[in-house]
Amino acid sequence: VKRLRWAFLAVPLLGLAELGAHLWFAGRPPAFDDWFALTEPVRALKQPGDLVVIAPAWADPAARRALGDELMPVRDVARPDVTRYATALEVSILGEHAPDLDGFREIERRPVGRFLLRRLANPAPAHVVYDFVDHLDPGAADVRGTDPAVPCLWNPRATIAAGGLGGHPTFPAARFECPGGIYFNVGVTVIADEEFRPRRCLWSHPFARGEIVTRFRDVPLGRVIRGHGGMYWMVERERKGAPVTLTVRVDGESVGSVVHRDGDGWAGFELPLGAHARARAATVEFAVSTSNFRDRHFCFEADTR
Amino acid sequence: MSAIGKRKLIDGAVALGLGAGYTTWLLRTVQDLGYARDEGFYFQAAASYGRWFEQLLADPRAALARRAVDGAWSANHEHPALIKSLFALSSTFLQKRWHLFAMEGSSYRFPAMALAGLAVALVYLWGTEARGRVVGVAAALAFALMPRVFFQAHLACFDVPIVAMWTLGAYAYWRALRTGGALAPLAAGVAFGLALDTKHNSWFLPIACAAHFLALHLWAAVARTRAGALLPRPSVDLPVRRRAFWALAAMGLVGPAVLYALWPWIWHDPVARVREYAQFHLNHEYYNMEFLGKNYWVAPMPRGYAWVMTLGTVPGITLVLFAVGLATRGRVWLGGLIDRLRGIAGPARRVDAAGTDLLWLLALVINYAAWLSPRTPIFGGTKHWMTAYPFLALYAGVGFDAVVRAARREAFRLRARRVALRRLAGSAWAAASLLGVTAVAAPLVETVRSHPWGLSAYTPLVGGAPGAASLGLNRTFWGYATGAVTPFLDTEVPRGGSVYIHDTAGPSWDMLQRDGRLRKDVRGVWSIAGADLGIYHHEKHMLGQEYQNWLAFGTLRPAYIGGLDGVPVILVYEDPRVRARAQSQKP
Repeated sequence: VKRLRWAFLAVPLLGLAELGAHLWFAGRPPAFDDWFALTEPVRALKQPGDLVVIAPAWADPAARRALGDELMPVRDVARPDVTRYATALEVSILGEHAPDLDGFREIERRPVGRFLLRRLANPAPAHVVYDFVDHLDPGAADVRGTDPAVPCLWNPRATIAAGGLGGHPTFPAARFECPGGIYFNVGVTVIADEEFRPRRCLWSHPFARGEIVTRFRDVPLGRVIRGHGGMYWMVERERKGAPVTLTVRVDGESVGSVVHRDGDGWAGFELPLGAHARARAATVEFAVSTSNFRDRHFCFEADTR
Repeated sequence: MSAIGKRKLIDGAVALGLGAGYTTWLLRTVQDLGYARDEGFYFQAAASYGRWFEQLLADPRAALARRAVDGAWSANHEHPALIKSLFALSSTFLQKRWHLFAMEGSSYRFPAMALAGLAVALVYLWGTEARGRVVGVAAALAFALMPRVFFQAHLACFDVPIVAMWTLGAYAYWRALRTGGALAPLAAGVAFGLALDTKHNSWFLPIACAAHFLALHLWAAVARTRAGALLPRPSVDLPVRRRAFWALAAMGLVGPAVLYALWPWIWHDPVARVREYAQFHLNHEYYNMEFLGKNYWVAPMPRGYAWVMTLGTVPGITLVLFAVGLATRGRVWLGGLIDRLRGIAGPARRVDAAGTDLLWLLALVINYAAWLSPRTPIFGGTKHWMTAYPFLALYAGVGFDAVVRAARREAFRLRARRVALRRLAGSAWAAASLLGVTAVAAPLVETVRSHPWGLSAYTPLVGGAPGAASLGLNRTFWGYATGAVTPFLDTEVPRGGSVYIHDTAGPSWDMLQRDGRLRKDVRGVWSIAGADLGIYHHEKHMLGQEYQNWLAFGTLRPAYIGGLDGVPVILVYEDPRVRARAQSQKP
């Protein structure tokens, strides 16, 4: 066919185009060490309380290596969600944007080499009055079991434990240790949720009987207690475990219960505080229980806002 | 020497050169590649088999006793023995006796690398014998320059060996159709037996050959009807159906006998143990695999997995040439029908009597077919259907040949205008070389640059490694990337210190140390708690392992990142106290 006479040229053209495309795609992202060039610009642009978010998410380790824990602390990286942040600093490469920040409004942008830094404002940030995860220490909290009644003692120098491949998350050195084995403790850890995203939370494996109760004293309250609960996804995805109940009590009165069933993932809850709202100093208890405690790697976070 | 003899000699030399060249390339790059998880288990099995071989030489009577056989061959008996036996023999003789390799691990890997060379040579030979040397060379290069094939070809695993054995079996069957006598079917039977003793993908080989046998019958049956005029005729009259029958019969009889003879594990209880082996693979558990951002760990698996991963990992130009090849041969087979539909009387078409096009197509389709089922596991990524790639490459060779022919036709038409065009028109190899450079450049560069991150490499069709990471395609598995961080570990780990090795198998870690690629005093441990450093191989479902590092070391800051094109694949975390101690001790 006459008009297809030169069609064979498409092959060398495509071959060379593929070569060019390969080299172009390969050279687009910054090298791992290039991220260090960001440290000063990010430090200059970031305001107190800003959440630093990396887009695309796969570049997060390179950013953390360069920016360090000060600019990207575990509290932010393993956040429950973005609702509490009034502003965020998005570090973007390859023209990508963080889906977490959809709906945020751009207030400033600064290109730095292959990076684009954007400060973004949350149109409706929540005002967090008290973050329970931040206050897990013996000065503000205690932990006990109810059946039998046992105290769980604060140990600031416990042996760090990590489950390894497929095992439980790391139990930090500072934690409340309960009788019955290493799983029975309350400490700040990070679990992988159903999308394997990091979630900082209070490990709270229930006992065979009764409740494991974490009590916070002198808590200034907002209108609601809001939080999330879940388990390391590898555990709950099997959907074989018993439901776990989280009951929240304020000054001895239950303000609500949340039942976590396997497969729920990192599930949010919000409990109105009713007459307790805006109390200056209340005692808040988080009680976790289950009918069958096998592999109940329950972990929750909560704040009052 | 006759022309045929001379041609065979040249083709043999070219095949040898391509195969040996590929194996040499693999040998020269193997030291950069860490050991995959499964390799560690095969090292252990091969060591067990190696001890048995030595016992067999020293005391055959004792070695052949059931207790000795079962004791040695029970190791890793969920896979047949041939390739692990070759690993064992290579380690025992080539390394321990003759010290041919710089590293012990390379001695275990060598048989698979040699079989990769064999696969390249076979693709060349088959392409050349069936369709000419241009096809053969182009097909061999298309196959050799697939980044995933290049990666797998380094490993002491069965995935590239089964590609070689499967191709050998199919080639032997095809040869049996073209050659009379008893030897050719027997060779097909032996080749099938070797494939059976390599990996369970071999079970698809008789299905492909039987389907081809039926297709030959169908072809002959249709040819006897009025519709037969629409199909091409065999170029020569050969008794191919009878020969195919005998080849299949030999595969059915000789193949299992070869499997039995070469797999001592089944010697003493063949039925139960073969059943156990088959059940293991027919009911294989599901492992995790990320695909388009989702972690799949239980059926149903995504039906598009094989197709998307093929598009994302086989160089695009190879796929284009494959499509051209398929269209070219399709036109020969369907040309009569097309002419009839267009109402014209086209030329009579002839194809080789062995139905080579049909066999290649059936082999391709049958090797992919299992991934049409959502119940088929996908955890091994592209290696599952890699047995299809030689046939994909053969069609790519056909496509390349068609492009060369088209270029020469145009050059011939325009020959009066330029001397260069006259030369191009006159020499197939001039046109092929010129076009070949453009067709090979991208696959070659992609393959070279993929090393040693073979499982992280993707083609531009999905945006390369960065695009694939954004799409949520798997970045690595098997824990082999540890090999890329050993220089960092050697520098950073304190004397007698420990490293959490995450997905690295213990024997794979040990081999890095036996090879001298990692200090022998560095201890691999199974928990991050108490370790001095921690490795994390990125896989979506393993992210919890990274978070274990954060809490254990109190930092989210990786000390080292390894990866491809700016995409992190492996991270190393370090206990800040260890680093501070090391810094304070520096003069």
